[in-house]
Parts: sequence; C-alpha cells; structure tokens
Amino acid sequence: MPAFPTTPIAKLTGHGGIVHALAYSSGSASYILTGCSDRTIRLYNHTKATTTSVAPPAGSQAYAPGLVSKYSAHGYEVLSIDVSTDNEKFVSTGGDKSVFYWDVQTAQTIRRWSGHNARVNRGVFGGEGDSVIVSGSFDGTVKIWDIKQNNYKPIMTLDEARDSVTDIAIFDAEILVSSVDGRVRSYDLRMGMCSVDVIGYPVTSLSVSKKGTEALVSSLDSTVRLMDRGNGQLLKAYRDESFVNTDLRVRSTLGLNDSVVLSGSDDGMVFAWDLLEGECKHKFRHSDMREVKGKGAATGERKGKKDVVSAVAFCGARREWASAGGDGNVIVWGMDG
Amino acid sequence: MVYKRPRAASPSTAQKRPRQDIRLGTELPPDEDGDDGSFVPVWKQTVTDDRGRRRLHGAFTGGFSAGYFNTVGSKEGWAPKAFVSSRSNRNKDQASAATQRPEDFMDEEDLAQASESRHLETAQSVAPIGSSGGVGRPTDGFFGLFVTEEETMGVKVVHQMGWRRDQGVGRKVRRHASLNDGIAASKDTSEHFFAPKDAPSMSSAREEIRRKGLGYLSEARLSKAGNTDPDSGPSLAFTFLNSSKKSQTSKKPTPKKSSFGVGVLNDTGSDDEDPYELGPKITFNKTLGKEKKAKKPSKFVKPAVADGLVYVPRKATKAGTSLSRMSQDEKATLKGFTLEMNTNDLMIKPKFPPPLIPEGWKTSRNTSSEERVQDFQSVTDAARSSTLDAKARASLLGETPLPSRSIFDFIPKEARDRLVTMSGNTALPQGLGQSAPEGYEASEQSTAKSLWSFVPRLDKHVAAGALAKGATGWMPYGEDSNKRARYVGFLELKSGSRQELPERGPGMSVSEWAKELEEFAHAAQVFKPASGIMASRFISSKATQSTAGVDSTGEDILRQPTAKVEDPTEQAAKLGMYGPMTRSSLPFHPSRLLCKRFNVKPPPDNPNTADIHPVDFDIKPKTEEPISKSDMDRLMREVASRGPATQRPAWMSYEPEAPVPAAVTKHAIVDIETNEALSKERASEDVFKAIFGDDDDEE
Repeated sequence: MPAFPTTPIAKLTGHGGIVHALAYSSGSASYILTGCSDRTIRLYNHTKATTTSVAPPAGSQAYAPGLVSKYSAHGYEVLSIDVSTDNEKFVSTGGDKSVFYWDVQTAQTIRRWSGHNARVNRGVFGGEGDSVIVSGSFDGTVKIWDIKQNNYKPIMTLDEARDSVTDIAIFDAEILVSSVDGRVRSYDLRMGMCSVDVIGYPVTSLSVSKKGTEALVSSLDSTVRLMDRGNGQLLKAYRDESFVNTDLRVRSTLGLNDSVVLSGSDDGMVFAWDLLEGECKHKFRHSDMREVKGKGAATGERKGKKDVVSAVAFCGARREWASAGGDGNVIVWGMDG
Repeated sequence: MVYKRPRAASPSTAQKRPRQDIRLGTELPPDEDGDDGSFVPVWKQTVTDDRGRRRLHGAFTGGFSAGYFNTVGSKEGWAPKAFVSSRSNRNKDQASAATQRPEDFMDEEDLAQASESRHLETAQSVAPIGSSGGVGRPTDGFFGLFVTEEETMGVKVVHQMGWRRDQGVGRKVRRHASLNDGIAASKDTSEHFFAPKDAPSMSSAREEIRRKGLGYLSEARLSKAGNTDPDSGPSLAFTFLNSSKKSQTSKKPTPKKSSFGVGVLNDTGSDDEDPYELGPKITFNKTLGKEKKAKKPSKFVKPAVADGLVYVPRKATKAGTSLSRMSQDEKATLKGFTLEMNTNDLMIKPKFPPPLIPEGWKTSRNTSSEERVQDFQSVTDAARSSTLDAKARASLLGETPLPSRSIFDFIPKEARDRLVTMSGNTALPQGLGQSAPEGYEASEQSTAKSLWSFVPRLDKHVAAGALAKGATGWMPYGEDSNKRARYVGFLELKSGSRQELPERGPGMSVSEWAKELEEFAHAAQVFKPASGIMASRFISSKATQSTAGVDSTGEDILRQPTAKVEDPTEQAAKLGMYGPMTRSSLPFHPSRLLCKRFNVKPPPDNPNTADIHPVDFDIKPKTEEPISKSDMDRLMREVASRGPATQRPAWMSYEPEAPVPAAVTKHAIVDIETNEALSKERASEDVFKAIFGDDDDEE
C-alpha cells in the first residue's frame, strides 16, 4: 500500500446541516461539490480554504473560505451529486422526488425530471457522453432519464428491486443497483441479462473498480465487501472491531488507484483498509481532524448523534480525499506539506 | 395675407436666347418702386411705406419685423389695434366694433371646408302638408311648392307625344269648351278639340300581399282612431287624390325612400293606406334651389280646373261614388251600369252556390255502386261474424298445421299461476310445462347464446390481474371452494384462457347464475391488484384463514407469527458463501433507446427492440393471452430476483421484508439457530402487555 494521505489540509465550512453528498469534480478534480441537508449544493475550491477556516456567522452574506458558488433549487435535503465528465453539468437528487440537472456556470437547473414516488437516493450520469441519468429512489425503482431528448418520461424503469434503491454505479454498459433488500443487481445492457448478487444485508453503498471486475459493497452489517463481479464471489471483506455501520447510509469508496478501501462510519470515524490484505491501515476521527492510532482508541468517543461520516470521496488526480460529516464540515485530507 | 407675387417669364430662359427675341412695341420704363415683377423670396422682400422707407416700429413692438415680415401698418398688412380706454369708451358698448370671428382666422381652404359642411335642411317645424302645424294650413298657397315630382321615363315619353299633365290619355275629343266646372256648357260657342278628361285609371286587381305580423290589427285600429279623431284626419282633401288613389300611386315614380312605416312628412293622412307599404306617397325635395328645370305649375295649385281644391269630407268621398262619373273613355256610363269605383270589390272572387238539382232528376248512368255499398263490411265485422278459427283459416290457406298445443302446454305451472295472478283470469288452462315439440325446440347454440348474454363484461386485464392476484395471494370466496372455483373459472374465461360458458352451480337457476356472475365481475373489479403508488404502499396481508374448514380447532385467536422462511440465497449470503449460490441471472430487456445511448448493440431476442417509441416502455404491455410471453418472462424474472415468494400462496410464503429506510431503521437481527416464534406455543407476554397494557391478570 502506497503512502496514504493522512494530514488534513482544508476544512470546508458553511454548511447548515449534515453533508450527505460529496463529489470531486471530474478531470483535475480541483473543486468539491457538497450536498447538504440545508437544501443547498455548494461548490468549493478547497485549495483556497485552510484547516482553520471558520464559517461566517449565520445570516451573513459572506462566503465561507473556498466557497465558489451555491446552487439552490432543492426543496428538500440533497442526497447525491454526480458530476459529468466534461465538468459542465452535474446531477443532484434529494428528498424532492426529482432529479435535477444543473449547469455549473449559470447555477441554474437545465432539466428537472420527476417521476419517482419517493425521495431519490442516487443519481448518476451514464451512457456514452453522459447522455442519460440513472436515478434510484426510495420507491424501489431505478429510472433512466434521457438528457438528449426532451422527454419528461424515463427511457426505462427498472423495478426489480424489492426495497429502496440506495446506490447506483455504472460501468461501461452495465448498471449496478444496490438496494436495501440486500441485493446488488447488475444490468448488462449488452447481454440483456441481469445478474443478482445476494449480499444478505441492506446495501448502502456501491462502487466499481476501475477495471470493472470488482464491486465494493457496503452493507449494514458493519462490513464492506469486495465482490467479484464475474461470478459473484466474495474477494475480501473489510471489517474492524471499531467500525460501526448498522443504521446509516454511509458511503465507501475505492482510492489510490484501487488500492485502498475507504469508508465512513456511523460513529464519526473514517476507516482505510488495504485492498489486498484487508487490514485496517488508518482510522481518522472526522470531527477532530486527526488520525487515530492504535486499536480501540476510537471506541466510545462518539460525540452526539450528529457525529457521523456520511460520505467520503477520493480525488481521482491527487493523493487526496475528503470526508463529509454530520457536523456540517467537509475535511480534505492530503499528504504532508 | 401676402401672396406670392405673380412671376413673369423665367428670367433664365430670357437670358438664354436673347437673339431670338422679337421685340414689339416700346419698353416700359423701369418700375419706380423697384418692383419689376421678378421673383424675390419672401425673406428678401421688404415692406416700405409710401415714401420708400422701411417701417420701424417700436423696439418692443417688433422693430423691423412687426407682424408678417414687417407688414404691420402697410396697406396690405395688419393694422395694429388702437388702444381704447375702457374708461371713456367701453369696449362692450361698441356694437359696431369688429369682433373677431372664426372666419377671420380661416384661409380659403378652411372656408371651403366650412361651407362644405353646411347643408341646407328643412327645419323640423316645416311640415307643410297634412300636418296640423301652422305652416301647413290649407290657406297657405305655397305648400305646393314643396311638392315636386320626379318624372318617370314613361311620363317623359308621353310628354314628348303631346300629353300634358291633367289631361286624359287618348284621342282628342271634339266638344264645347266647358268653362265653369262643366255645368254651363254654352251651346253657342263652337266646338273644339279637347284632350280627353283625365279619368282615373283602374289599376289591375293586384293581390294585396299582407306582410304583417301575427295578430296585427293596424288597419282596424287606425281607422277607428281616425274616425273618432277629426283632427288627425286630413283637413284638406283633394278629390283626385282620394278618388284616384290607386292611379296616383301607379303613376308615381318609384319611391326614393325605403324607410319603413309612416313619418310625419310622408303621412298622407289617409288611414286606408297600408302604413307599411314601402315608400312614401309623396316625396319631398328637401333642398332648395336644386331644381333641374323650371318648376312646372304643380297640379296642386291649378285653380280653374274641375279637380280643383274642394273640401270634401271623408265620409262624403266614401259615400260619394255615386257622383256623376265618366267612364274611362269620357262616355257616360251605359244605362243600368254604375261605375264601380271601389276596385277592391273586383278582387273578391264571387262564390256561387252550386246549381240546384231539380227534383226528380235521375241520372241516366246507372252504376252498381249501390249494391256494393250494401254488402260492404268492415274487417272487424267480418272477423266477428266469421265462424272460422285460426286452424280453419290455416287449413284454408294451406298451412301445415302446428301440433295442436297452446302456450299453456309449454309454460310451467308457476308461470301460469303468475299469469293468473297478474291477469286475474282464473279460467286459464293448466300449465303443463312440456318441452317444445319436435323440430321446434330451441337449438343448443341459441340457448347458449342467450346464456352468453348473461355473462357480464369485464376487462381482460382486470380479469387477468384478479387472477394473478389470486394466484399469488388472497382471493375472495375462501369459505366456499366451489364458488371460488367458479370465480376462478369466470376470471379465466374473461382473461381469455377458457372459452366455455362459466359453470353453473348445482341447483342454481339461470337468474341466480347470472347474478353470481355479476357478483364475480364486481369482485374482480374490487380485488384486482393495486397498481402504481398504491401497490408500493401496501403489502398484501400475510394469510387468510390457514385452511378452510379447520377454523374451529380451538386455536388461540392470536395468530402465530409464522416462521420466516429464509431464502436459501440469503442464508448462503449470511453464511458468507458468496458465489454461485448467491448469484442468479435473469433476462432483462433494455429498451432500444437505452442501448443507443450507451452505444451498445441491443441484445438479441429483445422484444423491446421492436418498439420505437421510448415512452411506451414505461407502460406495461397489454397482453392478449392471459399470460403473454413477456409477462411470463417478467414473472420468471421476478421469481428469480425476489426469491420464490411469488410462486406460493401468500399464507405459505415468507413475507417480503418491510421497507427499511436506509439510514434510520434498526437492522433486525435474526438469529438463525433459534426461532422464538416457532418454539413458543403461546404469544409472548410482551404481546399481551402491549395489547392489554392495563390488565393485571397476567401478572
């Protein structure tokens, strides 16, 4: 395992609630988009922020350090953000049962699709040239919306899931859908087949490796699993005695060229596992902005209900990652110096 | 106002061709005041006084530019108004003082416009004829001036031929001159040729078209009113006007006005007139001085003619048809004839009574109609008197006789009783209830057809849905398996998988059966599976009575929480045996557009590739068969993806997990080794406590 970035380099403040969604911009990944429960999406240039940056007092019009722009159209909490590959558009979903398609420059929504019957947990770009948006909702359906056409109806609805759809990942022409019913369904458009992998526990987060042969699955049994997509076998399970994820939707991600598994937790910790060996290499306390050394040191330190790490995101260009917490702060972690 | 000075020839042309000028006479000396008539622009012109000086007015009253180019005080310019002290000479007292009129500020154009806008019109008070106004009194000899006649072409032609007004038409008659109203025909004077007298021409009896509204009583009312009110009648009557009304109207030119009804001006005062006849009787020239020709002496002012102005009361004119009249050709009427003046009488077609047949007359043509009339009989009479009954008539007509049965032979007894009670006739024959005779019984097909009419309508998809719901879960009529079977049969029929008539329960009449079918249709409507949001909100109840008939075995009322049958794949997953056991595949049909967006060739055997419209993919295909191929695939997929739950009846299957909100609910920890629900016979104390919280008997 190469050197892991363990030093906090920036603190993105100004959120008015739990940060549910976190996304690096595409390409050089110089910006961070955050989706907050205060119904606002914020665009940060985290190089302008410091670790000691303080949010402006409530009510003031001043922007928090590093804050570039605010996107407000949601009427409910924002639950997921996905940025297009050309960095010009992004999609956000949330509690208002709609999928919002944004223009980054004008901070306006270009399209809004409504058709889900419940809150939309996840919306991602897909298709060649980001021509569709795939959204998964609490109503158990996955709907695929066409960006290129002006159709207000989805191209297709996948309603095989028996419970709330929590996460969607797209690799090539395959759509992976994870659901609370404990299954990960992988729709292969080329073959016209849907392979169902039973995880056994409600799945909260799903990501695909760069090769596309593995899928990282977080489930509510405090375990993150790396599944072989080819045959559905378990490649590795990532656990730790202090890692708790039984209640909340906590994101996990692969990082550092698919060598590290990173996951938030219910109790405000961030865990980093070595992908191959499966042992927990680093633990971070999000609210303290520090790495926790030693076993058991993190247990019992949970401060209040809001001390969760709901989303983590790895920078695709640098040795850098970010964690979003229930305290309304996003910490960007990088290498020393 | 200053006008442009008249310009002589253009100086340029004069300068151009000096040699060709031919000069005649002597040149005028140059103008003393320098006005040689050449063109000088207005701004160069100066106004000088008689001494040739430019006029300088006061520096504050204009200087060199007082008025229009310093024309103030010049002979064609303005004269300044002298100040008049109102103390010595009050301005308002000066009657002759030139007051400013609008015309003073008008140029020619304005004046022309103003004069154009002025029209000479008769005032309202001018109502010369027949009116009670002072102007139109009969003594006023001028009233005739206001009456003109436009002459028709016919009048003009006869004028050309020598006819004069107030002459009769025809050959000239040789007679003595009658000067004094025709009474004193002086015999001594010689005879002359005279034009025949103007005799009223008889108008052809024209059918009067009465264009009046329903119930309109104008004439009667008007005549009554006219008779009672002497003032409203014409105080001046012209005999010729009254006597030759028709001729007048026929001679009159076509009326210019087409107004409807009678105005003041064109009211001739006669009540016999149809007031709604189009056009006035007299047209007035409303403009003065626009006469085309010298005004002819009108007939109204011809003093010394027989048809002069005579005041004749209306009654007299009406009765006075017996006045000595001449016929049209100036001859006295023949003896025994009277001249009929009322031409209206001609219009009445006389009705003559039919000729009286002399008594005792008998026609020579002897017809046999009398006898025929004698033995005529109405059909009913004939039928009444006929002794033939239906059978006899049938035999007469050559019909093959029906088996001699009455309707009562065929209807059942109850029906006959019903007939008796309804008709009150107790003397009806007994109902035997026999079957129809040979060759006449209703065919099986027709009975089936009539039975088919009892089968209620039900949409195919509703039936299929209800059937599918019955297959997966709850179905009505759980207490009566036979009825349920019939219900299922009905649904199968309606969804198209069966063709035969729904079976009838034993001992069930057709009406009961039809009623039951109606009930089934309702039940299918009610119990069809919920769709859309509703379906996502509800989970079908887990179990009905476990089995019909085993309900009274003394089980405790609390239903046993049935053991949750673990999906083997989930069991395997929980044991960590990921791999083939936890993996399953099912076909999946991406829409063509989706494949296009992903730049992927659509998989083969994709039914959706045939579809073109992407919107339709959201709509579930309507199936023709009870379970179409696509639905079959769907079911297969469901089975594969959701586990075997849908295969079994609901009371046997495990209940799908309640929707667990991702981030809020607690994960239910299921102990694999022990199942409390199974091991316990009785419900736990907590359940009782939860339900009967206050009761102390359990503790």
